[in-house]
Amino acid sequence: MLASLEAMALVLVAGAWRGSLAAADGKSQKAPETVEVSIIDDVFTLQWNGSQESVGNVTYSADYATSEMDNWIKLPGCQHITGSKCDFFPLINFYEEIKFRVRAEEENSTSSWYYVDPFIPFQKARLGPPEVRLEAEDKAVIIYLFRPGKRDGTSIWDMDALSFEFSLVFWENSSHGEEQEIKTNFYISKMYDLSTETTYCLKAKARLSWKVSAYSPVYCINTTAEHKLLPPENVTFGARNQSYVLTWEYRDVNVTFRAQWLHAFSKLTPWDNSNEWKQIPNCENVRTTYCVFPQSVFQKKEYYFRVQASDGNDTSFWSKEKAVQTEMYSTILPPVVSMKSTNDSLHVFVKAPKKQFDTFTYEIILWENASHTERKLVSKRSDIIIPGLKPLTPYCIKARVLLQDKWNKTSVFSAVVCEKTKPGAAASIPWVIPVIVILLLAVIAFCVMKLLWKCFNYVFFPVFKPPCSIEHFSEQPFGNLLLSTSEEQTEKCFIIENTQSVIIVEEPEETDEDYRKYSSQSSQDSGNYSNEDESLGNQISEALLQLKPQALSCPGELVLGLSSLGLHSS
Amino acid sequence: MASRCILQIALLLSFTTSLSLSYDLLQLQQQQRSSNSACLKLLRQVKGKPEHCQQDRMDFKFPEEIKQPRPFQKEMAALVIQEMLQNIFVIIRKEFSTTVWNKTIVDDLLDKLHQQMDRLKSTILQERPEDTNMTTLRLKSYYWRISRYLTARENSICAWTVVQAELISKFPIINSLTDYFQD
Repeated sequence: MLASLEAMALVLVAGAWRGSLAAADGKSQKAPETVEVSIIDDVFTLQWNGSQESVGNVTYSADYATSEMDNWIKLPGCQHITGSKCDFFPLINFYEEIKFRVRAEEENSTSSWYYVDPFIPFQKARLGPPEVRLEAEDKAVIIYLFRPGKRDGTSIWDMDALSFEFSLVFWENSSHGEEQEIKTNFYISKMYDLSTETTYCLKAKARLSWKVSAYSPVYCINTTAEHKLLPPENVTFGARNQSYVLTWEYRDVNVTFRAQWLHAFSKLTPWDNSNEWKQIPNCENVRTTYCVFPQSVFQKKEYYFRVQASDGNDTSFWSKEKAVQTEMYSTILPPVVSMKSTNDSLHVFVKAPKKQFDTFTYEIILWENASHTERKLVSKRSDIIIPGLKPLTPYCIKARVLLQDKWNKTSVFSAVVCEKTKPGAAASIPWVIPVIVILLLAVIAFCVMKLLWKCFNYVFFPVFKPPCSIEHFSEQPFGNLLLSTSEEQTEKCFIIENTQSVIIVEEPEETDEDYRKYSSQSSQDSGNYSNEDESLGNQISEALLQLKPQALSCPGELVLGLSSLGLHSS
Repeated sequence: MASRCILQIALLLSFTTSLSLSYDLLQLQQQQRSSNSACLKLLRQVKGKPEHCQQDRMDFKFPEEIKQPRPFQKEMAALVIQEMLQNIFVIIRKEFSTTVWNKTIVDDLLDKLHQQMDRLKSTILQERPEDTNMTTLRLKSYYWRISRYLTARENSICAWTVVQAELISKFPIINSLTDYFQD
């Protein structure tokens, strides 16, 4: 019995040892496996698989760190989780890298960390479906769209508010209801021309660049019974003098109207713009089916207008919204034209009196004062050169502004300006190039001709004739042979040295470099002189060929060379 | 000498033809620049008190690769400009307070920004593949920091004064980016 007791004690102690060993180790837990982060809108979900070997009360904790901080932060909502996933809503910069780590814990022991690869939340996040709110009128349904994500200003999609695109599917909830598919960037849309007291349904999905959400749930609504007071119809917009005119149609007479306007860009932004419609001055409680207001009130580009009727007790629904681009209606003032004549072209300057719009084109009508044949020019530049005109002729010009964007709006023509072209036969711009080409060809031809002339002269009309030189030799005083460096006579001379090369002493007058090269090359050819007369003659003629024609004009010096030749050869 | 002359003529011809082909882009560039100066004028009208707001200054870390001149393709330049204009629009629309801004001026500014974005969308950015790259991501990060700064300081005058200076300082970059419209 004592032995068994001892044995039990031993086992207990051993067990305790092992237990304490395990506690001291701290890493007996296995780290979680396959940790994944998924993001849908603003909700981050961390999911993992616990390791197979863990049993019992294993909990998990997660930390996160962003690139802007150095240390790991405990992830709120993800500490000591017993399940295998947790949701959290971090308030971080969604466009910077973030990293996570997860570990398993049990009582006093923890596993090693499992590190998730860092990623950028904005890139990883997926779009949830948009939210829809419907509002019914008698023959229309207003669709209010809300982009996915939180709307308290801390959403991941906040900065992309303008870039959302919605795809709507709208249908009548009956057997023959055909689906209408609409794509829109607007956060508020309206479906018109519907039947009264009918059920209509809608589902929507959102798109942000390449991210597409799933369809939202289906929302349905019933249109109301027909409203007694009908809304105004056929709202039209026009311009008259310096004012805009909004007109509409209405059957009853005992009603007043009011008209409102909205900036076009308001429809693209998700903030509450139901009260962004503003009252048009002069258009409140009017009895006429039109109202006039100055153009200065609406100087931006794009607006929406709507009109409502009221009979004192009751108001109608709003009319269909009229989209207006004021550019289309506002009057364009004519430009101011001025001209300057240069030779046989005219330099025209067109100036718009006030910089109303940026996309101008000008239409210029040109005609000769005498005749009435008109020439039309279209230009985007404000100074134009018109070439190819007759000199000393009076020309007249008038111009107008063209808006070639979407509507062919024009201004009235400017005042007519006339100017006489100057005399002159100078070539106008398109003629310059052929003239330059001709000049170049002329230069080339001249050089070629000169070369041919030289060759011709060398070959057929050598100035040097052997008998003449001998005569000249007898005339020359002997002293010249010794004074070979006298200035007057050494202008174009040569010395034959070693009977094998011909070297030019003085710089020739012309900068004909090729000549120098030619002579030094051919000096190789002159080779060995022989005693024979024939060969001497050849040598002489060869030497002569290397001379310029002008060189032959100093026969005295030539004689010098010849004599040296003769001396050497003998 | 003759060959040099012909070369010069050839260069002049090609230059003038390329000038005429890209005229629409030149006009877009001019529009962008005039729109920029108009926006700048409006931005400057924030009712700020710069003398009292020195301690609120902050570095929002504008992406360096856009600040330094580096050859951009015209589509990339347009994308960067579009991203900047969009974010400026969102910040002003989201965070403006009537104590600091005159609503008419805000609407004016938003309208101009919207017009310019529309213009870019209908010209250079027509066939945009619409994928975010690192540069646009860093831009979004920069504007997010500005937006958070304003929210944290409850859109106070001082906060808006700092942000106004920051936004204004980046308009010259938009202008220089329009140079790349010519390719």
